Amino acid sequence: MSDISVIRVRDLLMVTLPSDPDDATVSALQHQVLEAMQKREPKGVVLDISAVETLDSFFARTVAETAQMVRLMGGRTIIAGMRPAVAITATQIGLTLGKIETALDVDRALEMVARGDGNIGGQK
Amino acid sequence: MKKKSRPANSVPPDSTPPSSPAQPLQARRAEMVPLLVKSIKDYAILLLDKEGKVLTWNAGAERIKGWKANEIIGQHFSRFYPPEDIARGKAEEELRTARDEGRFEDEGWRVRKDGSRFWANVIVTALRDENGQLLGYGKITRDLTERREAEEKIRKQSQEILEMATVPIVQAWEGIVLVPLVGMLDSQRTQQLMERLLHRVTETNSPIALLDITGVPTVDTQTAQHLIETISAVRLLGAEVILTGVRPVIAQTLVHLGIDLSNVLTRSSLAAGLRTALETLNLQVAAKQ
Amino acid sequence: MTAVSQGEIQIATESDILLARRAVREAATQVGFGATDVTRIVTAASELARNTFLYAGRGTMHWTRCELHGREGLELKFVDKGPGIPDISLALQEGYSTGKGLGMGLPGAKRLMDDMDIQSAPGHGTTITVKKWRKT
Repeated sequence: MSDISVIRVRDLLMVTLPSDPDDATVSALQHQVLEAMQKREPKGVVLDISAVETLDSFFARTVAETAQMVRLMGGRTIIAGMRPAVAITATQIGLTLGKIETALDVDRALEMVARGDGNIGGQK
Repeated sequence: MKKKSRPANSVPPDSTPPSSPAQPLQARRAEMVPLLVKSIKDYAILLLDKEGKVLTWNAGAERIKGWKANEIIGQHFSRFYPPEDIARGKAEEELRTARDEGRFEDEGWRVRKDGSRFWANVIVTALRDENGQLLGYGKITRDLTERREAEEKIRKQSQEILEMATVPIVQAWEGIVLVPLVGMLDSQRTQQLMERLLHRVTETNSPIALLDITGVPTVDTQTAQHLIETISAVRLLGAEVILTGVRPVIAQTLVHLGIDLSNVLTRSSLAAGLRTALETLNLQVAAKQ
Repeated sequence: MTAVSQGEIQIATESDILLARRAVREAATQVGFGATDVTRIVTAASELARNTFLYAGRGTMHWTRCELHGREGLELKFVDKGPGIPDISLALQEGYSTGKGLGMGLPGAKRLMDDMDIQSAPGHGTTITVKKWRKT
């Protein structure tokens, strides 16, 4: 029913979002991620938003809430690949995504999880 | 002259006060012109002979150039030029142009008695008698130093805006981009810079951006707000910002203004920031054995 | 080439918000806005379209290419016949929300655009007009 792909890579959940998801798709994201958290008990969730062109307050709130729920279920959430224009717009309207971790791309997000470190990716 | 005499002529006789009849004043016009020239303070007005030696001096010339009449009359007017202009014969060329074309106009540096320079507008006019015989030259000089300084200031300001638009975003190391900020940060410049920085971080896949404010003279609440916004935006991308070049005066200002940068990684110098960046990337620079 | 200079989208369902975004993205790109400004305008449109849907149930978004002193721009107008906004200045405050939003809908859109005008009276619906001018 949605364009979101949720796949398990080793002990992680890889979630890829389409470029312009409608509200139903965004709502489905939360549902799918939490279901997968329960079924597969991954260490964390990597949310690949590199295709996303618009991040409005509804979308941002859903993502922030989902990350909070994932944390309650024992996982961490890393948002990977936000586009510059999206980051500028989000900052301008005051969206900060709370305490969610971010990574430049999926590769660095995976590295962060593997190393168990914080916000900054490591040098290869 | 004719033009100026007309209103006086058109005045009806009965409106003229009896104590000062119009006619004698008209007759004294010739005396008044030298008086006018002599007392004008805003322009240096002088006569030069055919060779360029100073014949007359007025109040404006003394005020602008510094010499008194007795010190300069009889001297060649190249005294007013900087050495480099004297060397290339600029003074003589001006007279030549005035002689051949009737008039010469120039804007440039001239020298005062004390050796200091001022920015001058100079007009040299050839003076000829009714037979066309060259008598000498009239020279009018205005001091435009203030105007030039104002123009210079505007030029410098627009230059600064341009500089900010072209602030280099440098790849300092693999994974580290460096932004050396120069001048004041206003909202438009910050917007532009933020956009360029974010694109650069993404393009180069750099997890660390060093924002160096060594060249930023002061930080006010608004500037700090711009910096904080930039830092938040970079973080959303998944990179970290280290604010470097926080000099003592900037640190004091930030605390006094109550600006909270406790969530931001800050360092006093660019070198310290670079060291932190390398450590974060698990790199180290060691002396050669 | 004559570009389309105006258009209209009905907002009646949640997925119409997406259609409004797409229409605005196309219009803003056509006006010649840069990538970041396109994102700003589309995000503002998304917030306002969602507002219309959440508070009035249905409404219309009109978009028009406009010009002022030789600068090109884009105007978006959201019209609904809903309950109206009782206190506009309160609605523009950060964090204020009566519906399901983050309370950033109106103030967020205002920050992203150059101009915002709100006409509203309780019981008479709401018209919100926003404009963005292209940087020269």
